[in-house]
Amino acid sequence: MIKKISALLLAVAMVASLAACGGDKKPAASNGGASASAAGEVAGLTEAFAESPILVTSGGQSADYQMIGTVMGKLGMDYEINNLATSADLGDAKTLIVVVGGSSKGLGAAGIDADGELARLEELMAGAKDAGLSIIAMHTGGEARRGDLSDKFITPVFEKADYAIVVSAGDEDGLMSGICAGAGIPMDVIGSISDVTTVLPAAFK
Amino acid sequence: MTKKNYISAAICLAVSVAIMIVTSMNFLAARDVPLPEKGPSVTEVKMLSDWFDGLKGTNGDTPVYVLKGEKEGGAALVLGGTHANEVSGYMSAFTFIENAVVEQGTVYVIPYTNHSAMTHNDPGEGNLQYFTLQTKSGERTFRYGSRATNPVDQWPDPDVYIHYPSGQQLSGSETRNINRAYPGRPDGNLTEKMAYGVAELIRAENVGITFDLHEASPEYPVINATVAHQNAMNIASEGCINLLLGGINMALEQSPTNFHGLTHRELGDYTDTMAFLMETANASQGRLRGATTVEQVLGGKDECYLISEGLGMLYVPWDENGHPIEERCGRHLQGIYEYVTAYNNANPDSAIVYSGVPGYSELFLEADPSELGGARLGSFLL
Repeated sequence: MIKKISALLLAVAMVASLAACGGDKKPAASNGGASASAAGEVAGLTEAFAESPILVTSGGQSADYQMIGTVMGKLGMDYEINNLATSADLGDAKTLIVVVGGSSKGLGAAGIDADGELARLEELMAGAKDAGLSIIAMHTGGEARRGDLSDKFITPVFEKADYAIVVSAGDEDGLMSGICAGAGIPMDVIGSISDVTTVLPAAFK
Repeated sequence: MTKKNYISAAICLAVSVAIMIVTSMNFLAARDVPLPEKGPSVTEVKMLSDWFDGLKGTNGDTPVYVLKGEKEGGAALVLGGTHANEVSGYMSAFTFIENAVVEQGTVYVIPYTNHSAMTHNDPGEGNLQYFTLQTKSGERTFRYGSRATNPVDQWPDPDVYIHYPSGQQLSGSETRNINRAYPGRPDGNLTEKMAYGVAELIRAENVGITFDLHEASPEYPVINATVAHQNAMNIASEGCINLLLGGINMALEQSPTNFHGLTHRELGDYTDTMAFLMETANASQGRLRGATTVEQVLGGKDECYLISEGLGMLYVPWDENGHPIEERCGRHLQGIYEYVTAYNNANPDSAIVYSGVPGYSELFLEADPSELGGARLGSFLL
């Protein structure tokens, strides 16, 4: 009988530990828990502010930056892509677009780890700010580009941006709208990456 | 020994022999792998050994369906059954072969890329051996194989698998995984020879674009995704956007340069093809699933995954509708179509043009819910 009770208790403990491993899929916002509703409503862009030429880079090495490049190509925009750009690569660019989304495969393909990517982004964005570039932060990968890896890059990029474009499925917890609302950064929410065509050109003079 | 003992012993012996006969027949029947019917554009059925004769007479040799259009053009290759337990991979290949009307160029389709893996299954996983579908010609039986080469054909596994030529070290069991064996070698083990045969076909036929069709467990992060070699990323980006526009939630990943043996890495590095790998969500593959049933394999439904979704453990959205085989094959076939279209835009002189293959809409979106789980897919098979 004692053995049966012990086995039952062990089984209960195992089930409890399994449940504990799960947790919420989407971690709480890392910007102190700010959300759109807590920090005020986020506002969309009202007037053009950015200029060409444009440098597009990745924030986390997901392939979303390449897809944005394809969209911009179809729009006939003047841009260059460099997924590993540093401040030395800013050249004559007047606008920096950072497409955020973490990918372990992409980091592997780029030969950089997450900490190295974060350091690169911080150096690049500081350089862009010093040089007076406009910075546009984009998150277009939706729910698939959220989680521990992607979230590591969201806050440092978005809080330095002048404008943000976000696919709604990626911001259901309000992380990005919270950052933008709190910092007064205009942000447009779109349904899918293809809707970038409806908002991005309007940001350029 | 008493007479009673003799009778008991005789009965036990007879039962043992009967079990042996039944299981032996079952074991040998696994070597009889059902093949696709020839569709309207199948001009030839060759064997992989026609490109690499080191496979001739082995269980690694596999049929290659050649679908040639009347107009000259480029060449594409579709690999189904790289992992023979990833059903939507080879069922998409069957559907392509039996429906495609190729107007320009040539499409090579290998339904069982690892033919040996289709001749056994993983009984320890409680996996199916067979499933059936009602097709235009009546009921047809299809196999459910294993991820890896049959150990009858390649044994024993080393403690550590060292990939050729990179020297990458993996678990010994991966030595029988063809998607860790590319680019292969002519004097390697059977799995490496199969991989070499595929690479030889690509080189000999100037295959411009290659698709490797997979499935993944819902707990695996790379799911509902395309992985492409860096040389293919422009085409992949354009095709992926068109998939998104069509309502297919597809993530795009670039092949890591430091993970070796996979189609999207090595076929891109060691041939001139643009290599793509696509993953759909298979409920019968993961560790969190319930009992493996036909409903789970074809219907894509699983109660345990509903619970797992609630616990935030999955990388693909999950509800009571699951991910039926029609959705999974539809994703693969629509993916092939969109990436080929993007390839044609970039390479008009070596275009591959085809029609007649059901896509995501025909297989999934336009289906009545009662048709999902095999009936709708079967209606497109000969």
